Amino acid sequence: MAPSKPGSTRTAPPQLPDQFPFGGRYLAYTLFDLTGILYLLLGFVVLCAVWSLGSGEAAWNSVLDRHRSIFYIAFHAISLVGVIFVGIRFFSFFPKAQLPRIGPVKPPPKPVILATLYALWIGVTAFLSIVLAGGIF
Amino acid sequence: MKHPLLKLEPLIWLLFGQGILLGTILLTPWVLVVGLAIPLGIVPADALSYERAAMLGSHIIGRVILLGLIALPLWKGAHHMRHTLIDFGGAERDALVAPLLYLLATIGSVMAVVAVVRI
Repeated sequence: MAPSKPGSTRTAPPQLPDQFPFGGRYLAYTLFDLTGILYLLLGFVVLCAVWSLGSGEAAWNSVLDRHRSIFYIAFHAISLVGVIFVGIRFFSFFPKAQLPRIGPVKPPPKPVILATLYALWIGVTAFLSIVLAGGIF
Repeated sequence: MKHPLLKLEPLIWLLFGQGILLGTILLTPWVLVVGLAIPLGIVPADALSYERAAMLGSHIIGRVILLGLIALPLWKGAHHMRHTLIDFGGAERDALVAPLLYLLATIGSVMAVVAVVRI
């Protein structure tokens, strides 16, 4: 049943925590959010490369040449750090975010989930790196 | 009436989550080899000569991987940038910023489909 008149208690205006954005535990939180910029840029850099692959040999070679510039190498070095950071942080969340059970089925123990994720990441990285580097196919 | 973005929230979260999980898994070897090892001369450039790159990229599995490699990080990036902007600037501009960022990810995803089809 609704009250006859609204109560006098009002919600306090939201306040940023003292340590936001780069203090204490907020540092990792903010950096994780900021990797969004890196991923957006990486998506478009890969899009440009794949687009030029469809445009012919000259366009593809021009992309490979561009990647040799110090700007692109620095960008990819920062990106690698960012991607590894996202992977480690997300994989640490993943086991904690599982439902306790779905019907009668319980998820595997957290260390098993974590080990599977890292094995998948390392395995796919190794396999695709070998393919891209000309080791197989 | 529900805001259209609220209706799309499950789809956006799905693409965001896969952008983190699969995007990270796929971006790592790309950045390692194409972004660093080949430009630094650790891996010979012939490894991704035009003929070989086109052969790998035009295979059906290659096309699917390239599509995921482009589109999923765009959705991860758009959604995380949206929340960064909310954290730093408040939610007042979110009604404008969020559709713009998701539009950018949508355009990039459509272009990714076209890019992998035309290899």
